[in-house]
Amino acid sequence: MSRVKAKKPSLCTCELLTKEIISKSLSILRAVVTSCYGPSGRLKQLHNGVGGSVCTTSSSSLLFSNLSVTHPILKILTTSVQNHVSRFSDCGLFTAILCFNLVEHFQRLNLSTATVIKISKHLLSLCTDYLNSESCGCRISVDFSNMKTLLCLVQSILTSKPACLLNKKETDHISTLILKAFLLTIPEKAKDHAVLGKSIIVPLKDERVMNSAVLPGIVIEMPEVQLIRKFPIKKLPSDALKVALFCMSMSGDISEPGEGTLVISYGVSLESAVLDQLLNLGNRLITDHVDIVVCQKVIHPALKQYFHQHHIITIDRVGISLMEPLCEMTGAQTIGSLSFISPTSYGYVKDLCSTNFGSKHYFHLIPNDSTVCSLLLCNRNETAWNELKLACQTALHVLQLTIRKPLALLGGGCTETHLASFIRHKGINVPECILKVNDCTQTEYKIVTNAFCNALQSIACSLEHDKGKILTDRKYGHFWSIPPDFPSNVKWQDLVSECGCGLYGNQEELNWCLLQDIHSFAPQNSSIQQATNSTGHLTLDCFTAKLHGLQVAVETASLILDLSYIIEDKN
Amino acid sequence: MAATTTAGGLGAALQAAEVLESIVSGCVGPEGRQVLYTKPTGDVLFSRDGGHLLEALNVEHPLARVIVTCVSMNRNVTGDGSKTFILLLCDLLRGLKAITDKERGSFGGSIQSQQRHWKSCCQWKYISQAILTFQAHILDYIVAQYLSKHFLSIFSFSGEEKKFCRRSLELLLDAYFCGRVGRNNQKFISQLTCDYFYKCLSHEDGKDEMIDLVDEYFLELCTAVTGLPVSSSRIVSGFVIHRDFSVYCPADGDMRIIIVTEPIEPALSTSGSELVVKSEAQFQASQIWITERTATIMNDLQSKGIKLLLSRVKQHDAVIYYAKLNGISVVECIPSEEISLLCRIVALSPFMPSWATSQCHISDTALVQFCQPILLNSKRYVHLGFLSTHSFIPHCLVLCGPVQGLTDQHIHAFHGAFKVLRQVLKVLYLSYKAQGNNQNETSNSVTHRDNKQSYHLTEVYRALFERQCLGSVLKSEGDPSGMQPHFRATPGLVLSSIESENSTPSTTHTHKIKGDFESLICTYPNKIGIINAEEPLVAIRCGCNGDSLIEIPDGYVSVVEQTCKMSNTTTGMTSKEVFQNTSKSYCTSFIQAGSVLPVGGHFEILLHYYLLDYSRQCQQPEIRMISSLIANALLSVPKTLYTAKRGNKSFCNVYLRTVHALQAKQWMAASQTGLESVACKYQLLTSVLHCLTKLLTVDLVIRINKQPQKTGDDETE
Repeated sequence: MSRVKAKKPSLCTCELLTKEIISKSLSILRAVVTSCYGPSGRLKQLHNGVGGSVCTTSSSSLLFSNLSVTHPILKILTTSVQNHVSRFSDCGLFTAILCFNLVEHFQRLNLSTATVIKISKHLLSLCTDYLNSESCGCRISVDFSNMKTLLCLVQSILTSKPACLLNKKETDHISTLILKAFLLTIPEKAKDHAVLGKSIIVPLKDERVMNSAVLPGIVIEMPEVQLIRKFPIKKLPSDALKVALFCMSMSGDISEPGEGTLVISYGVSLESAVLDQLLNLGNRLITDHVDIVVCQKVIHPALKQYFHQHHIITIDRVGISLMEPLCEMTGAQTIGSLSFISPTSYGYVKDLCSTNFGSKHYFHLIPNDSTVCSLLLCNRNETAWNELKLACQTALHVLQLTIRKPLALLGGGCTETHLASFIRHKGINVPECILKVNDCTQTEYKIVTNAFCNALQSIACSLEHDKGKILTDRKYGHFWSIPPDFPSNVKWQDLVSECGCGLYGNQEELNWCLLQDIHSFAPQNSSIQQATNSTGHLTLDCFTAKLHGLQVAVETASLILDLSYIIEDKN
Repeated sequence: MAATTTAGGLGAALQAAEVLESIVSGCVGPEGRQVLYTKPTGDVLFSRDGGHLLEALNVEHPLARVIVTCVSMNRNVTGDGSKTFILLLCDLLRGLKAITDKERGSFGGSIQSQQRHWKSCCQWKYISQAILTFQAHILDYIVAQYLSKHFLSIFSFSGEEKKFCRRSLELLLDAYFCGRVGRNNQKFISQLTCDYFYKCLSHEDGKDEMIDLVDEYFLELCTAVTGLPVSSSRIVSGFVIHRDFSVYCPADGDMRIIIVTEPIEPALSTSGSELVVKSEAQFQASQIWITERTATIMNDLQSKGIKLLLSRVKQHDAVIYYAKLNGISVVECIPSEEISLLCRIVALSPFMPSWATSQCHISDTALVQFCQPILLNSKRYVHLGFLSTHSFIPHCLVLCGPVQGLTDQHIHAFHGAFKVLRQVLKVLYLSYKAQGNNQNETSNSVTHRDNKQSYHLTEVYRALFERQCLGSVLKSEGDPSGMQPHFRATPGLVLSSIESENSTPSTTHTHKIKGDFESLICTYPNKIGIINAEEPLVAIRCGCNGDSLIEIPDGYVSVVEQTCKMSNTTTGMTSKEVFQNTSKSYCTSFIQAGSVLPVGGHFEILLHYYLLDYSRQCQQPEIRMISSLIANALLSVPKTLYTAKRGNKSFCNVYLRTVHALQAKQWMAASQTGLESVACKYQLLTSVLHCLTKLLTVDLVIRINKQPQKTGDDETE
């Protein structure tokens, strides 16, 4: 008998953001996130008190998925960032920090939330319009005929993940590999809408990073049993090898009998009946001159042995995730029937060889012409490998996003400071109609704009973790940092070398000032494309991801500010 | 296991309602804010839906639970108005309390508090009955007679033709979403819903059917996408099945589809039958037969030109394989709700594969325009385009938001919007007893009223005495604890036993209570007299007109309240004609489909005005009392809406302007910021009154420590 228990009443909390406990936990999480940001970000070690592996990371996705936040407001913020990351892979920390900053700055204002939300929405639309416009001074267009910008983009992503523990040389190597792997997935013959292929990341832990490699085709790990037997190499008259792909189990299990009952006479063995069927299938494959049999699930040992005798190579337990790339690469159809096989279901590969990476042995299926490739990724230890894998996935995703919209934003804090100075400049005189639409006064508008810009600038400031001073110039509105303990008689001009993104050097007279003292000026953005071509290395961010991050951060901050109270169901 | 009792009735109900009001009032109206609600599962949701929030509270207080149940019932019908419900109810209770407090003052402290409680309970019951009668006869009458002339219509009339006006629909939805979604997205979601309505509507006459369909299947028609800004939400033409292709064979042009609800591959044995396996060869043969059958069926499907197979269940590997060979796309494991919606859209019945005959008979197929994958929420779904002959042109709504909680809120608000639309487009019938004999009563003296009153009173007492005979065993009225075992044992009998307890002392005090009751009645004229004494205040109202109203500071709200109470100060202007043109029988009238009024408490102020007007004409004190009670309570809604507003838009100003315009018979629905449905508002008011009577008739709340018989009574309702 089940006991019915009355529901406990819910807990209702009001006066949210002013409550000490909430503002405290918000600021703690903010501090955690902010300290992770950028190439010089501090790493966080996450370990479970009960046991398990230790994870060292500075990436938002690992951080937020492992932290168990309890307060609903924090939960909103973290899920919002996680959702953004699951969609765009990049700019998670940016989104989180901006959101924290906005909440903090707006909450300090003594204005009604309605006004703040309305004006911040307007400011967001100003930002997105500016970033999407041709005249934008903080974005560059990506030229796919020239690998330099793409390489910069990938390198920026890798350097912003210090937990990968890569040195300069290794970063260059890995970024080249990522770019290579990405280019291999682009189909050569593009129709009206091209479908990008797949690059499969193969784990090789406890190896030197420089051993990482990109191979066309698919690499499948070989079980050790097969090693003992001699790998049968069969020279074929034709160049290609015939492949059969099975998506069903070939282990000889009996299909479900249905809803009724099955009565089996004494002495009848269903297993042997099924095995007979399997061997018949084997004969069929042999007569069809199949060279390789790949099965998603398990192949019966007897059948395996039978194939082996006939010099057919078997690869089983491939798993569902590899089936789609295998179909694409070989052109085969997955077979789901033991009785009849259509001749059209077979596919072909150019060659099959066995390769060794580290201590492991692999089958390497080499395609004729395909957009599938394997990225063998090495790193020193488990946690660094995980971080590197995440960085690679991010980079590949960012490249895909960039091919859809060939733009990139200046990184290294320059976009934020530039955008802030743009918004500030726009806020000097606001048309009456905008004030009317937003139902606010000129002063209210100015106050909110100021808070918004400060929030943007403080993201740029979170790039600096070593107590250095942050400057900005009054010409382009870019980000410059100088070391903390400089003598007072030295001019700033002698201290700065280049701006955060690397677009501008020290040669111009740029009229620097401290970032917090900046007043509004009109940022120039005329010669950005020429400047791009002249400089060697740039720090770049993904345009789509950052733009969406900005939108999501402002929307989430508005959501949090708009809350009047919380009802917690404690059942 | 001792049962504890708490006093029911007005005080307790007011206390409960005020707590609910304090929670709800934060999210009323366009200035309202969001509420975060965490589920026991850990999900975090946003909400501004009053009914949803009240349910989420899991209130323990029994009277509060009654209120929440009433709110939910109203919400299920109208889709809106939960917050207004609480506001109205609270103000009605407050008004009642104010009246009874005044009366209590006149009683003096001679009666014991216990007895006074019983007596007031009895009186509340009487009042609640009066409220019900008032609602049934007079409220309907007022709405039909006076209010209806102010109604605007959502339709635009061009000659004979009635056309649905898009602008009005936009205004209606704007007003609705102002109260339901976060401030940032109101305009956007409202516009999206309006677009959706028009895109789905194939012709004007089909709109009822279309709204019903959307209301029923809103979950299937919406797709939530998280991680994108709300502004990326869009409408997709056709239907999105929330599953991926098992097999996708791209095809151009119109495609023939088929729906199956069971596996196509025959099983070795069906339920209730037995398969006897005698040899291995037989087993193999049966397996081969199964595969052959599957192949035949799939080939048949292909020869019939079928390109897409939609299946409710998971199909076997062989089916997938043969589908692939035959170029048939397959979608498996489609939820049954989506299947039933699909069947309705394309008017298709599921295909039953028959394994006995060699040729299978394909009864029902349908054509779709296209079928392609669509990427939503990082998942691949199936997107179908229809050649619809139905009144509903299928469209799907893709709602984006940074978090799931927000998209859920938007989906629910979207659902509610269609409920509201359905209410708007419905004719609401009113029936009321004609007011013909009112005039006679006017001429009659107070004695007539007294007679009537005492008749009521004797009725009440007769009932009580009868009860007393039944429960004469329970004579121990002085010791409440002695009665508790009975309470616990038979909850059904509780009411009668309590009442008998009530009546026992009344045998001795009958004359006294009766006297008090009469003195209660006598207080009514007194009260009116008191208000009359404040006549100078009327001058203020008369003095200000038109633009000069702007100068009135907010401090005059109290003035307004007082003028409201002056039931007989101003000269009536419409009374005569009304009394003359009504007959003595029951009349029926109706609120026309599509009747709307501008938002901002206009319905409430108008009804308030006419109720007050009515109460001035009316000579029966209890009706007058109820009428002015409801009239004053109605003002709580605009008061709350305008709390934050200053100057020209303050409540005081709006109210005075409206009343002045009404007096001059020049009231026009002016500000076109939004519209709301009259039918919804009216239904809301009647459900509030019903809830009030429900609350008033309870005099004692008894807590029993018995396990509930079935899971959560509150959920079944």
